[in-house]
Amino acid sequence: MAGRAIGLDRVPDAVFAQAMVGPGAAIDPVREPGEVLSPISGILVKLKPHAFVVTATDGRGVLVHLGIDTVNLDGGGFVLLAEEGGPVDAGAPVVRWNPAAIEACGLSPVCPVIALDADPASAAAIAASVALGPVSADDRLFTWA
Amino acid sequence: MDKAEAILAGLGGADNVVEIEPCITRLRTVVRDGGKVDDRALKAAGAHGVMKSGTVVQVVVGPEADTLCMDIEDLL
Repeated sequence: MAGRAIGLDRVPDAVFAQAMVGPGAAIDPVREPGEVLSPISGILVKLKPHAFVVTATDGRGVLVHLGIDTVNLDGGGFVLLAEEGGPVDAGAPVVRWNPAAIEACGLSPVCPVIALDADPASAAAIAASVALGPVSADDRLFTWA
Repeated sequence: MDKAEAILAGLGGADNVVEIEPCITRLRTVVRDGGKVDDRALKAAGAHGVMKSGTVVQVVVGPEADTLCMDIEDLL
């Protein structure tokens, strides 16, 4: 999705800010309706309205969380464009949403993108590879070597 | 003790759990007595972190939260 890449430490949620689920980065999205694209190719192992996990063939998974505390919306405002358990290509649309509407509900639309279960050495490399600043939907957010 | 049992024990046991629901990376629970929640036991059980605010306790377990929550509900 398009927006501005920020460090996880700026995510208004302790779990993500302290990288408890893993390293990564977050996107402060452009406040307009848009599609959230899969960051990698793999299997869409989990798909909730407000979050999804894609696992690549080598087993590494990436979590994309759409906004903070958005589980409380019970799916309101999210349109699923893919099927849980099915394959997705990098760049394929997974969810349609409107960050402006999330913000209007009083929630942060900031989207953490997390490398799940990365070991500490990879975590440091991932954190160092984050390209901060403006991003468009097909830009590389970070590299997990 | 399996992971679900260990986490339930860390939350103060089945009697202490009022509500438990999974988020994609965490278990969101409401407990009767926050004082019975044992952070160290939860971390030993595999939790990445624990956040407490009174009787609301979030246990960060990663994407297995769903299945773990079902296992814990079976024990309640």
